[in-house]
Amino acid sequence: MSDAGERYLGEVLRDEMIMKDSILAVLEEGPKTVPEIALALNASEYDTMLWVMGMRRYEMVIEVGGAKGDGYCQYRAIKAH
Amino acid sequence: MDYDVLIIGAGIAGMEAALSLGNMGFKVLLVEKEASIGGKMILLSKVFPTLDCASCISTPKMADVAHHPNVTLQVYSEVEGVDPLADGSFRAKVVKKPTYVNADLCTGCGLCETACTVAVADEFNAGLVARRAAHIPFPQAIPKKAVIDRRGFSPCHHSCPAGVRAHGYISLVRSGRYEEAFNLHMEDAPLVGSLARACYAPCEEECTRGSVDGTIPIRGIKRFMSDYYYERHPEPEYGVPEKKNGRKVAVIGAGPAGLTAAYQLARKGYTVKIFEEAPEAGGMLRIGIPSYRLPKDVVDRDIANVTALGVEIETRHEISSIEPLKEQGYDAVFLAAGAVEARTMGVEGEDLEGVMDCMEFLREVNIGRAPDLEGKTVMVVGGGNSAIDPARVAIRLGAEKVLIQYRRSRAEMPAHSWEIEGAEEEGVELQLLRVPVRFIGKDGKLEAAECISMKLGEPDESGRRSPVPQKGSEEIVPVDLVVLAIGLKPSTSPFAHELETNKNGTLKVNSHTLETSDPRVFAGGDVVTGPSMIAQAIGQGNRAAHHIDMYLRGEDLSLSRFDLPIPTVEKKDVLMRAKSISFRKPTDKKELEPSERCRSFSEIEQPFTKEEIRYGAGRCLDCAVCSECEACIRACPVEDCIRFDMLPERREVTVGSVIVATGYDLFNVEKKPQYGSGRLKNVITGMQMDRLLAPTRPFNTVLRPSDGKEPDNIAYVLCTGSRDQTADNTLCSRVCCMYSIKQAQLIMGALPLADITIYYIDIRAFGKGYDEFYEQAKAMGVYFVKGKVAKVEEAEDGNMTVFYEDMANSGGLKTATHDLVVLSVGLLPNREALGLFPDQMLKADDFHYVAEVEEDIDPGRTSIAGVFVAGTASGARDIPDSILHAGAAAAQAAAYIENLGVRS
Ligand SMILES: Cc1cc2nc3c(=O)[nH]c(=O)nc-3n(C[C@H](O)[C@H](O)[C@H](O)COP(=O)(O)OP(=O)(O)OC[C@H]3O[C@@H](n4cnc5c(N)ncnc54)[C@H](O)[C@@H]3O)c2cc1C
Ligand code: SF4
Ligand code: SF4
Repeated sequence: MSDAGERYLGEVLRDEMIMKDSILAVLEEGPKTVPEIALALNASEYDTMLWVMGMRRYEMVIEVGGAKGDGYCQYRAIKAH
Repeated sequence: MDYDVLIIGAGIAGMEAALSLGNMGFKVLLVEKEASIGGKMILLSKVFPTLDCASCISTPKMADVAHHPNVTLQVYSEVEGVDPLADGSFRAKVVKKPTYVNADLCTGCGLCETACTVAVADEFNAGLVARRAAHIPFPQAIPKKAVIDRRGFSPCHHSCPAGVRAHGYISLVRSGRYEEAFNLHMEDAPLVGSLARACYAPCEEECTRGSVDGTIPIRGIKRFMSDYYYERHPEPEYGVPEKKNGRKVAVIGAGPAGLTAAYQLARKGYTVKIFEEAPEAGGMLRIGIPSYRLPKDVVDRDIANVTALGVEIETRHEISSIEPLKEQGYDAVFLAAGAVEARTMGVEGEDLEGVMDCMEFLREVNIGRAPDLEGKTVMVVGGGNSAIDPARVAIRLGAEKVLIQYRRSRAEMPAHSWEIEGAEEEGVELQLLRVPVRFIGKDGKLEAAECISMKLGEPDESGRRSPVPQKGSEEIVPVDLVVLAIGLKPSTSPFAHELETNKNGTLKVNSHTLETSDPRVFAGGDVVTGPSMIAQAIGQGNRAAHHIDMYLRGEDLSLSRFDLPIPTVEKKDVLMRAKSISFRKPTDKKELEPSERCRSFSEIEQPFTKEEIRYGAGRCLDCAVCSECEACIRACPVEDCIRFDMLPERREVTVGSVIVATGYDLFNVEKKPQYGSGRLKNVITGMQMDRLLAPTRPFNTVLRPSDGKEPDNIAYVLCTGSRDQTADNTLCSRVCCMYSIKQAQLIMGALPLADITIYYIDIRAFGKGYDEFYEQAKAMGVYFVKGKVAKVEEAEDGNMTVFYEDMANSGGLKTATHDLVVLSVGLLPNREALGLFPDQMLKADDFHYVAEVEEDIDPGRTSIAGVFVAGTASGARDIPDSILHAGAAAAQAAAYIENLGVRS
């Protein structure tokens, strides 16, 4: 077992199932970048990236165009799940 | 002979060999352990130096293999062993792992994966993104069929005597799908609310997370979903099944076993009637378990799940013989009369008014005829849960003093420790190693008990130390009520003349089918097991229903598939797979304060909130990966496509020749911790970058894993794990230089503003056009630094600092900053193939690749006559070389078979 701070890939990926509703709720306000979603969730950007990419794969979110000037892409919800 | 050639592994080498041999007219069996053919090539972005799209050039070959009339493809299968035969041919054992999806029916629509509730790392995307337990390996998979990653039963499911798929409803609750979770439970057992409160939860004892930082609150999760459902559905949503089969079944006893069997049979179309001698249905749920543990409105709502199907329950109807039921036209009978007859102590005064057995006492209280115990002294005799319940009830009825006398010590008490502690908190006094030997009364009414102290002697047959009375320790204790809780007997006496019983009074049954000595009568629950638990009784109800149905359909019960030989996953394997588990505080039980709870029959246990329960479910480790939540089945548009009763299929085949095309392994970067892979989020491997650049990439473009930003300064560390004694691989991997240069060129296309630096020792660009490809990259602006990288660290701003020794220019130790580091990992031998043949017959070379005995002049020939090796199984190679090598192996195999003179 390790500290609460350190999390392993499988654990983070699993949490997508708990976090997806909150992410979709955050995206109701409009498209957001990964750091913006992470901030709203009070979660790490790395974890959020994994969740958002998982949700993108299963068509819950989609990118809005390419990366903006700051290098980040925005994502929006596709439909309510 | 079944096939001319067996080819093990369907990467590019195996596919090429299969096509060559197939085109020559040989019959080929091509076995692949993954769910799709294509090997690693199909996962790549483009190929060097032509920059052709890897999937565009692989997929036609894959399709040719799949459709070739001479090639039989068997995916998701493993060769367990190959034995050379005396005539020069071979016998191979091949096992097809269950995919739980009928490949003939699956259309590859992917709806199952979208619905699935379990997320795990996607190996086909090198762990960059999640896939689901139900998954199609990748978009161009051939065959494009879903597979379900199910490793067996999770310990929580396996340990549930009722057979409830706990992992399934946990994963649904984790996803916020509470009603689906409830409905899944209803497939397995209808008494959801009662189990959620009164089950002893053996699942929690077996939960893998329990051995880490505390069990998943499995029963609490069930409580949440049943409360959630019942609040929204005061009545069941279904009614009597439309299709009835015209057969009638009688059930004796409306306890958990009887209710469950009735429910399952009614769902199958049977007309079921339950006969119950008590005034109300529920068995122990109604009369035994006190309402502070199980409120009776919950029992009512659970029973409505059964009666909604048209099951009739006739209460106050004692059945004392089976025969009349047969005469009334019942096609089968399920006897589930429980174990409600009390054992007696056999001591003086047991018949006095004021001495009761625990069932009588609890029944009176539960049917609203509680005795007035205000200010009285109550003694309960016994040490099991059935002693704790009346003691705690007596407290609630206002007794001034409640004591439990038990003849052994606390360690031997069969009651659960939390029950004992709960009773003590409420003021129950435990008197251990003490027992009444006589009850004293006046005018037939109890006044006192004579008690004696005990000492523990030698262990008895049960292994527990026997209590020995201590002469002279007798004492008279004034008491108003004694409750005897020293055991219950199965209620079989009325049937003993019709059905065979065991010495202990339980009914004799076939433990698999629950058939009794009368073929039309099945029995289950406490009447068969002796006093047990609700979940056990429910499990027996399910078992009985299954076999009664088989019996009435005229099927052979010995062919029952009720107990499928599916293994339970080993906890140690789960923990190993998880690598490490970070501490997550278990959800604490929520209970009323003792002072509050002992004044009323209000439910002690308080429900969890939605947030608490999703957090609690989120701690689940997904032991068996697939949770059996059946979300995929519900989403799948094709009936019966997904089936969880598939088992591995083993077969033996004889073949003329074998080609080993098992490919390579990638260097495990964790062996070079100084490069930070796994620890530093922006250090990735070359394979991961290839995935990021592939058309079927896991992200929308090349992004940093740490935060989703497009990188603008990328470093490559060549020779990671190659040419490196410390990494146990002194060989050059031959492809890392070239794939890194390829990626650099592709990144320049995808991210035109990005800077790319390649740290190298020397560049190995030996093939046709390779050096030109290298020069082209330089001309495009890729920056090559001749330098050995010592370590990679994360700077405060999140960028990566690369420490390297400058081997050109001014020399010396230098550092550079990048925002993404790619480790160009090398190729390692896949040693699996070496174990497929007996007695280490298949020899390895010095580097553990399959040895080619005459590598220079006889490519592909191994140490076993008739066994050939193709592609990277015998050494690091790029795609063109692997294809060439496979062609050589195919030619060798063809010649061998021709010489054998036997064809399939
Ligand atoms: C005090 C006490 C507390 C318990 N607490 C728990 C607990 O918290 N958790 C747990 O898991 N287990 C508990 N148990 C055990 C659990 O109740 C039983 O394992 C379970 O109820 C057995 O189910 P069953 O259907 O076999 O029998 P029962 O629940 O006993 O049901 C049998 C039914 O058949 C009826 N019947 C009997 N004979 C006839 C007849 N001839 N004709 C018609 N009807 C008849 C009976 O009246 C009864 O209603 C407890 C037991 C006791 C005694
Ligand atoms: S049963 Fe549930 S967890 Fe298993 S594959 Fe199907 S949807 Fe996924
Ligand atoms: S960790 Fe999850 S799947 Fe494993 S035993 Fe516990 S509840 Fe079941």
